[in-house]
Amino acid sequence: MHFLELSQVNFHYPKQEKLALDNINLEIEQKSITAVIGPNGSGKTTLSKVMIGVFPATGGKILLQGDPVSELSLAEIGRSIGYVFQNPDLQLFCGTVAEEIGFGLINRGCEPDRVKEKVDFYLDYFQLAEYRNAFPLHLSQGEKQRVAIASVLAAEPEFLILDEPTIGLDTYRKKILEGYLQKIACSGRGMVLISHDMSFVNRLADRVIQMENGHIVDDGDWKGNNGYDA
Amino acid sequence: MTLDPRTKMVIVICLSTLALIYNTPERLLQLLIVTVLLLLLFRIDIRSVWVYLKRFLQLMLVVFIIQCFFTRGGEVLLSLGSVELISSQGFLTGASLVLRIIVVISAALILTTFSSRDFILGLVQWKVPYELAFMVTIAMRFLPLFRDEFVNVVTAVQLRGVELKQVSWGKKIELFRCLLFPVVFGALLKAQQLAVAMESRGFRAYPRRTYLRRLDFILVDYAVMLIFVTVTIILIVY
Ligand SMILES: Nc1ncnc2c1ncn2[C@@H]1O[C@H](COP(=O)(O)OP(=O)(O)OP(=O)(O)O)[C@@H](O)[C@H]1O
Ligand SMILES: [Mg+2]
Repeated sequence: MHFLELSQVNFHYPKQEKLALDNINLEIEQKSITAVIGPNGSGKTTLSKVMIGVFPATGGKILLQGDPVSELSLAEIGRSIGYVFQNPDLQLFCGTVAEEIGFGLINRGCEPDRVKEKVDFYLDYFQLAEYRNAFPLHLSQGEKQRVAIASVLAAEPEFLILDEPTIGLDTYRKKILEGYLQKIACSGRGMVLISHDMSFVNRLADRVIQMENGHIVDDGDWKGNNGYDA
Repeated sequence: MTLDPRTKMVIVICLSTLALIYNTPERLLQLLIVTVLLLLLFRIDIRSVWVYLKRFLQLMLVVFIIQCFFTRGGEVLLSLGSVELISSQGFLTGASLVLRIIVVISAALILTTFSSRDFILGLVQWKVPYELAFMVTIAMRFLPLFRDEFVNVVTAVQLRGVELKQVSWGKKIELFRCLLFPVVFGALLKAQQLAVAMESRGFRAYPRRTYLRRLDFILVDYAVMLIFVTVTIILIVY
């Protein structure tokens, strides 16, 4: 059984003729880093959102560990897949950075001591300790991005989908993120990585899927820049 | 029939005013028939009316039930032993309120037959300051965006493990307060940025601005407007 399985998935946005995803067939294993690349508007974000049932597919079937995604609630899906949105502003909703990072843990019924411990760890790791009580939306772009990533990682889901995680990060912070993702991969948890950052992709990914115009045009474990410039 | 957006606006205002003033089901039903005829005249798909009405179904039901049970008078329609439950007066009041909501919503659909750009143009040619007219359309355009944003945040919360269907009402309210936070904050931020962006592109740099198109008020518009306003006034007075 594959972790995620898409067969003949189609999707178009409401009131639009054009298919944003056209006949997508895809299997994703749990223990691998799959990168999705492609030009702006090629449907990467759409694909990832359809995968986790945020947008219901208009055709085809999506299975998450054998269960149809359409029959699972978002909370159930969120328990096995952590999703980092492309825009950090739309996923930060708590009053302080610490609350934000602890939110998922508390919802999973974690003990308060354990929550505190983990929040401290992630604040430290992503160098956010000094902003612990800051209002998340008042941070800089890169800091918001780190808070968003940290709050999804803190819940330690089995699988991750990261939509442009390196956006707004400086070189040093990118290295830190890369290190952490590598560690996750080593512990046997996989991820889908959507990115325009080819060097980041090349260093991390086992498999690269290239999209264009709602289609998958290339899928392989090749590494290198196949004529597509980030 | 292509009428000037301003004429259509006046028609909508007339219909809504009458809907608010009338309070008997018969009168409101007549008004609804007129409204539906107008919608057909403006080539609005009646099925789309249903799509909009569906969203207000719950509200209408609640309003209807409350009116039924709490307005006394007239004959007793339903009673439990000696306790009078629904009176004819209550039933009629409830029905009127529901009809009123339907008329106002259907009439508002006439506004969807012209673009917001025409709307600004119409207001400006009526000497409404351009800034004000522009603000109104921006508000109209951003409203659906806020809804999208809210949906987005709700999605994010669910993905982080909150089963919305299972949380208690007390907690839900607390959660929604939390959710409005980023949306309202984002709105303020967007407003600030929009103001700067607009000014940097010359908004209000000169006291006068020119327009590519002009809306021309033709005879039909004057006639239709005159008829609607007069009929409305006569109906209100009598
Ligand atoms: N909410 C929406 N409503 C309608 N169309 C949309 C919506 N979101 C995206 N689209 C359209 O769907 C297509 C795919 O968009 P998508 O966001 O998936 O692209 P992307 O590959 O993630 O691009 P980017 O690299 O810029 O993030 C685009 O043509 C876009 O215009
Ligand atoms: Mg995208």
